[in-house]
Amino acid sequence: MLVMNNISRIYRGESIQTHALRDFSLTVEQGEFVAVTGPSGSGKSTFLNVAGLLDTFDQGSYELDGVSVDGMNDNQISRLRNEKIGFIFQNYNLIPDYSIFDNVDMPLRYRGLSAKKRKQRVENALEKVGLAARMDYLPSQLSGGQQQRVAIARALAGEPKILLADEPTGNLDSLMARQVMELLHKLNQEGTTIIMVTHDPDQAREVSRNVQIIDGQITDSKIYAPVAEMPTQEVANV
Amino acid sequence: MFSYYLKLSFINFKRSPSLYALVLLTLSVGIGLVCANFALISVMSGDPIPEKSDRLIHVSMNTWATETPHEEPLHILRYRDAMHIEKADMVKNTVTFFASGIYVRDSESESLARINASVRATTAGFFDLTNAPFAYGTGFTENTGKVLVIGDELNQQLFGGGNNVGKVLELAGELFTIVGILEPWHLRPLFYHATENMAFNNTDDIFAPLETAIDLNWAVHARSSASDSVRTLDESRDKNYFYLQSWVELHKASDRKLLQQYLDNYSQSLKDAGEHPLDIRNELHDVNEWLLKQEVVDERVLAFSIATGLFLVVCIFNASSLLLSRFHAAKFEVGLRRAVGASKSQILTQGLIESSLLGAVASVVAIGLSGLFLIFSTEMLPNLANLAVLNGETLIAGVFLSIVTANLASLYSIYRANRYTISAELK
Amino acid sequence: MNIKALIKSLFLRKFSTGLLLLQLALTLGLIINSTILALDTKAKLEKDTGMPLDEMLVVVSSSTSGAFKELSYAASIAEEDLAKIEQIPGVIAAATSVQLPIQTGGWNGNVNDVDDQDAVLRDRYLKFVAKFHSNEKLAQIFDLDLVEGRYLTEADRTPLFSEEEMNIVITESLKNALYPSESAIGKLTNAGRIVGVVKDFVINPGLADDKQYAVFTNMPVTLAEFVQHYIIRVEPSQLNQVKAQIRDVILGVQPERDIFGLFSMREHMDSFYANDQGLVSLFIGLCILMVVITAISSYAYAQFHITQQTKLIGIRRALGATKKDIVMYVLTENWLVYALGCLIGIGATIGFNVMLSQYIELSKPDFVLAAMGVGILFVASTLATWLPAKKTSNIPPVIATKTV
Repeated sequence: MLVMNNISRIYRGESIQTHALRDFSLTVEQGEFVAVTGPSGSGKSTFLNVAGLLDTFDQGSYELDGVSVDGMNDNQISRLRNEKIGFIFQNYNLIPDYSIFDNVDMPLRYRGLSAKKRKQRVENALEKVGLAARMDYLPSQLSGGQQQRVAIARALAGEPKILLADEPTGNLDSLMARQVMELLHKLNQEGTTIIMVTHDPDQAREVSRNVQIIDGQITDSKIYAPVAEMPTQEVANV
Repeated sequence: MFSYYLKLSFINFKRSPSLYALVLLTLSVGIGLVCANFALISVMSGDPIPEKSDRLIHVSMNTWATETPHEEPLHILRYRDAMHIEKADMVKNTVTFFASGIYVRDSESESLARINASVRATTAGFFDLTNAPFAYGTGFTENTGKVLVIGDELNQQLFGGGNNVGKVLELAGELFTIVGILEPWHLRPLFYHATENMAFNNTDDIFAPLETAIDLNWAVHARSSASDSVRTLDESRDKNYFYLQSWVELHKASDRKLLQQYLDNYSQSLKDAGEHPLDIRNELHDVNEWLLKQEVVDERVLAFSIATGLFLVVCIFNASSLLLSRFHAAKFEVGLRRAVGASKSQILTQGLIESSLLGAVASVVAIGLSGLFLIFSTEMLPNLANLAVLNGETLIAGVFLSIVTANLASLYSIYRANRYTISAELK
Repeated sequence: MNIKALIKSLFLRKFSTGLLLLQLALTLGLIINSTILALDTKAKLEKDTGMPLDEMLVVVSSSTSGAFKELSYAASIAEEDLAKIEQIPGVIAAATSVQLPIQTGGWNGNVNDVDDQDAVLRDRYLKFVAKFHSNEKLAQIFDLDLVEGRYLTEADRTPLFSEEEMNIVITESLKNALYPSESAIGKLTNAGRIVGVVKDFVINPGLADDKQYAVFTNMPVTLAEFVQHYIIRVEPSQLNQVKAQIRDVILGVQPERDIFGLFSMREHMDSFYANDQGLVSLFIGLCILMVVITAISSYAYAQFHITQQTKLIGIRRALGATKKDIVMYVLTENWLVYALGCLIGIGATIGFNVMLSQYIELSKPDFVLAAMGVGILFVASTLATWLPAKKTSNIPPVIATKTV
């Protein structure tokens, strides 16, 4: 599904160069739920941005769903992003004066679908996150957890191959966080590949694989048994 | 997709209505002013008779009879010179006239009140040559007789309009029969009389046969110049009294050489006969050359148009800096759209559609404002009173200018919006 | 205040700063040149014409019937008109005239000494000498001062179209052109014999002061085909009272006349310059719009900058900057931009002046005007910046500790 080989991403300042990612290689299979952990500034976000085609990389190769992104122009990359990737952000990033429907509809607008098809997909996506009844609400009329579920619906609406989540529960209290995580697990069980950046060691343990990044490199990669057989030892990732 | 972009533009306008209103107003005021000026200049520099302006030739001659000539050939001619032009046979049509004025009343009216009418005392060729539009009747065919053609406005004033061919008017004690009535007729500029600050006068109220007017000693309401003493006009025919203007209609523009030759031969023969000591110097100008030479475009308006042009530049700068702050507020949304798969070109298209929509709305406001500015300008510059016309040319220019300036004003913000890295805006 | 840091911060926003600079410069250019235009026009209107403009009334009329084609009839009606007008209380004198002063064109002719036909070749203005065919009262009505010789008298009256030699009075500039180094009295010109020379007055404002050539005759012209002018001198402050009666008096003599002009000489002069005055109004109007637009830009510039710097300003406050310090900080930045704008504005002013001079007469900019333009812009832009500056100073220091 996602194959990164020897990716380097270098930020050049006036006098210093920062290797946000160095010789970074990772393969994620279809149906995996990968948690990415690591201290602040370790390169987690850069990894997610590169994986989500929001950012470019300087060296290495990247294949998404069997397509190499090397040498693609902005139009092609945008198309790829639109069709294969769904984003979930810590701050939800809903547009405050759009209705829930319009927010979820946004990615579909860039795909040239008919109005009828879009409506159907938006309704399906909202159905999945349990908010179909709130279609005409504004984000501000929903709780934080509901807003994040709208954001997930937005990510799902395009029927992506892979969901990229950047600390999706970072702004939520534990109850709401729980609901969002349950939703993500449900989606994963239904076949969606998910890569999630998180600070929460518990969340990291719930998933099928945990990748730890320090200084732009993978230092640890644990593959866990199915959730039911979750090991009990701590993972040093804080 | 287009309708989605339009919808987004409306949402954006709704988000910061005061800012967009300010941008709209700024651009509209700037464009409105420029359009009002453009309208004035385009009317003043327009071609009033495009179908044959290159075949209508104004004649200036250099036949002043004394040693103290004018610096340039005179645009006014004496009777016999003009009559020689009327005799030319290589041309399609000729006209000789002078401007006059007279008080007129319906001879059957009870009232003795008279209307002040502007008069063109002219040879019969006038109507064909100028394409004068007849509502009723025809022009006169002889240069004598007590017949008249009247303009629409006078017809309204005297009779309240309608077909009044055959009715009799009293002009300074003489009775004239109406043979033709014109439709409303606007010539801007009044090419056939572009001199003596008359280029933007209305077309005349009365057209009367030249010889009759001369015999009746009607006043010359334009420049006249004489080296002989002339008491009354009827004795001017063989005197050195210069007051007539001549136009010639050629079969084709290239016949100008023939006309020039004809006039030069005539001047030479006069010189050989010792009638004038001057160089052979007859000048021909077609309509547009003549209007250009008479500098009918008001210099004040030209000066003001420089100022309005610069003002528009300032308005664009202003709109541009206002829109820049709008863009900063919208950075997040652009980032989000990019993240969900909008390409740079889609974001660019959206920006251009938004500014074009802004421009389209601005054009409507601007055209309204330019109408106001135009009225105000002609109020301020009384010599332009007949020129407050928003012609089609101006309307098209206004819409075009609005859309271009709105896009210019938002160009930099759109460019900036596309240069940001997406990930920097989202967390 | 750290000017260097300010300049650096301005440079970071070079696009918006550049826009504002250019706006300021263009606005300054327009303000200064509009003021020049206004002052030039004011000077024209206030120029001493040599005539008591507020004590002169002009009546313009045409005869509307054929009866006036009879020369003696027209002349007798005119005589009767003048006599009746002079009976109106407050009227000092009245005369017919073929034309008015303060106009271009008109009834002109060439004038030269009978023995010097070539004079017109040396001085082309001698071909267009204004002829004031009037009566002996015109000098009194125009309040013309005698330079040499005498005014015209009733004895100088000459009938129209007479072939006899006529006595004339000429203006001083015409005398200087014809007889620069000798007395003109007694000289014979093609227009008549000179009996007097009067001081110049404004005949054609389009010509230089020393080209105000005119000849006065005592030969009233009352031809029906010409517009008839009566010029009336009235007692000071009696103008309106006379004006109110004049129409009835003239139509009382003979009703077949159309009186289409009735105005003081002052009004005549104002209307002569109406287009110039109108252009000034247009320019002033544009200036006001431009200042408003520029003020909006200054406001937007400061406002935009401040929203971007909210946190920085919070930190400054947290570190002990007073509200006044913050206001000064924002204002200083505005003044810096403004000073640069004025510097470029000097170039814009000169450029604008050159461009306008292609089409209209315009004096060159001077220091006082430049200072005035700078002053207006200074006040406008300071006011426009004051508002956001004031708002900024209310940013609480606690902002500094929040993440923005």
